Amino acid sequence: MAQGKNGGWSPYLAGGLSGLVSVFSVWLAGKFLGASTTFAKTAGMLEGLAAPERVSRLEYFLKNTPQVDWQWMFVAGILVGALLAALSDRSFAWEPLPPMWRSRFGESRWPRWLAAFVGGTVAMFGARLADG
Amino acid sequence: MKTLLYGLITGVLFGFLLQKGRVLRYDKQLGALRLLDLTIVKFMLSSVVVAMIGVYLLVDLGLAKLSVKSLLLGANILGGLLFGLGWGLLGYCPGTSVGALAEGRWDAVFGILGMLVGAGLYAEAFPYLKTTVLTWGNYGKLTLPQLLGVSPWVVIPLFAAGAVFLFRWLEKRGL
Repeated sequence: MAQGKNGGWSPYLAGGLSGLVSVFSVWLAGKFLGASTTFAKTAGMLEGLAAPERVSRLEYFLKNTPQVDWQWMFVAGILVGALLAALSDRSFAWEPLPPMWRSRFGESRWPRWLAAFVGGTVAMFGARLADG
Repeated sequence: MKTLLYGLITGVLFGFLLQKGRVLRYDKQLGALRLLDLTIVKFMLSSVVVAMIGVYLLVDLGLAKLSVKSLLLGANILGGLLFGLGWGLLGYCPGTSVGALAEGRWDAVFGILGMLVGAGLYAEAFPYLKTTVLTWGNYGKLTLPQLLGVSPWVVIPLFAAGAVFLFRWLEKRGL
């Protein structure tokens, strides 16, 4: 297996194989890979716990029913697959701050948490708008 | 039920490969955005080229149907700009954030929470967006071969050749 500096596989190999995975998914399940709709559906499920009436009135959630579907399981599977891969070559690391962030912004955790939260909010709004 | 199982298995394989390709990490994602380390571009383009050939083969054999999304210039451009801004701050994609968490990079939790909030806000804003941004520059479902008026098998080899040239250039530059 082509080994990189960090013990990983060549990105060409891993990427090419992931392309094959998506071809088989389209073939066998008729499903194209995607992840962002799952965040919308999960948001709807969580909102539904607090205010079910409100969720049932929102047009967006009528079009995108908040429920566990193929893509939701796909995203859950990414978690499992990445965990298995990280454990298989001991690259799992419980890391509160990314090295590049730490070398630029220091050890304080709050700024990173805030940037990640705000970034996530903006990125997902954009992804939904662009229908990505 | 079978559909859900397919989703899980596909996700496990995909997540495994994302982690092995080492593309889940913040440093790799920011490395690509800062043009310092283009591992992610290599992974994504390799995936796209293989999937492009495979999916169009399936379509030609009558084994699959394309799922084409509408070209909505206003929403695609504005959404793309917002996504880029947020991605630069977060350093994870929607799909890779859960994978990053799985390999122990738990700052991703805050990104995942933010993304849930962003998705909820979008649902709130949808009725307004539907009559404004989402109507700007709507060209319907359109593919590159359709736009150029050629067979997909003209576009695919050109795209693949372009990717190979880019890969060779990146390797020469040590990116």
